[in-house]
Amino acid sequence: MTAVREAVVLPALFLTVTLAAMIEPGARTVVSGASLFSLVLGVMLFAALIRCGALDPARLLHASRGMLANANGFAVVVTLFAASSQVLWMLSPRSGLPMFFVGVLLFVQLLNTLVSSPDRVRLLRSIAVTLGSALVLKFVVLGALSAPGGSRTARVLTALFDAATFGSITQAPQDPAGGYIAFGAVALYLAGIALLPGRSAVSPRTELVPR
Amino acid sequence: MNDNAVRGAGLVGSIAYAAAIGWLYVTQPQTAAQVTGGLASIIGTYRIDAQAFRDGLQFFRNDQFVEARAAFARADPAERDATTQFYIAYAWYRQGWGRLYNDDALFAKGMVAADKAIAAAPNGRVIVEDPNLQMHSADELKAELHRGVTREADDFNPLRVFRARK
Repeated sequence: MTAVREAVVLPALFLTVTLAAMIEPGARTVVSGASLFSLVLGVMLFAALIRCGALDPARLLHASRGMLANANGFAVVVTLFAASSQVLWMLSPRSGLPMFFVGVLLFVQLLNTLVSSPDRVRLLRSIAVTLGSALVLKFVVLGALSAPGGSRTARVLTALFDAATFGSITQAPQDPAGGYIAFGAVALYLAGIALLPGRSAVSPRTELVPR
Repeated sequence: MNDNAVRGAGLVGSIAYAAAIGWLYVTQPQTAAQVTGGLASIIGTYRIDAQAFRDGLQFFRNDQFVEARAAFARADPAERDATTQFYIAYAWYRQGWGRLYNDDALFAKGMVAADKAIAAAPNGRVIVEDPNLQMHSADELKAELHRGVTREADDFNPLRVFRARK
């Protein structure tokens, strides 16, 4: 991995993702930090990246590297963790049953990934699908259910749906810009984890090598 | 450019970027002007628009409080100048003051502006030596605004109608 990628590109990418995932646009823009549960999910995602070989910590932090190089590696590790936690926080609904179910689903999904230990490519695909699904659920499905405008029919359906679920589904209205910011943040995050220094592939087979 | 220079610059840049994110989280700015003004005030280059401030003062002294606040807001778009925020709070106070009753909503906005003035001042001390004002510190102004929104037995004293606006 080049010094530019390690010292500049990766920290800048992950810090940008962190910042974008913190911003909740609206009538009053809020810069929010990740919840405790999101930090736990962030740890699991971070662990999955290491376990599946998408990130090799020894290529970022090692006694054989210089102090400055290790400081750069540490910056990558810290910003990756911050971005992971913040992205998961951004994609989690804020209240009611959706918050509970999405939280449980993300937890189970990440636990399953940790246990099954897929290879790097499969892990990246899995993360893309998980984050993409959470994005669609929160910013498309729940966003449409909670939108304040809409036709009279839509408002009646939403009211009926809300009454049937005891008001536990609908969320606070989201600013349309929020979905676009989230999309950009997820895309950047996926690009960032694809650029991480991974473990070099080792063939599990034993081969006879002619001398 | 050698590797060490790239690594050093990258590290410094990362720390600065992370500090900026932390600052955004702590200060929660609402507009681009607040972001740029806040960053400018950190490095000591933030200045208010003196002409807009003079306009605001003129409106304030003529009891044109809405116009005064508009001019003060133009003078201090980042809400980082203690004196300007003090005058904005005072404008909310004078507009909300009533001989029979005070407007709680305007007083509440005045308290928010007084808090901004205190937050912007060094050590939180705001003193404005303006002979046209009866209250010269943000502490007095905030206490007066707080008294205005608090319900107490004295509110029903009929002699209150003789009190004067500060």
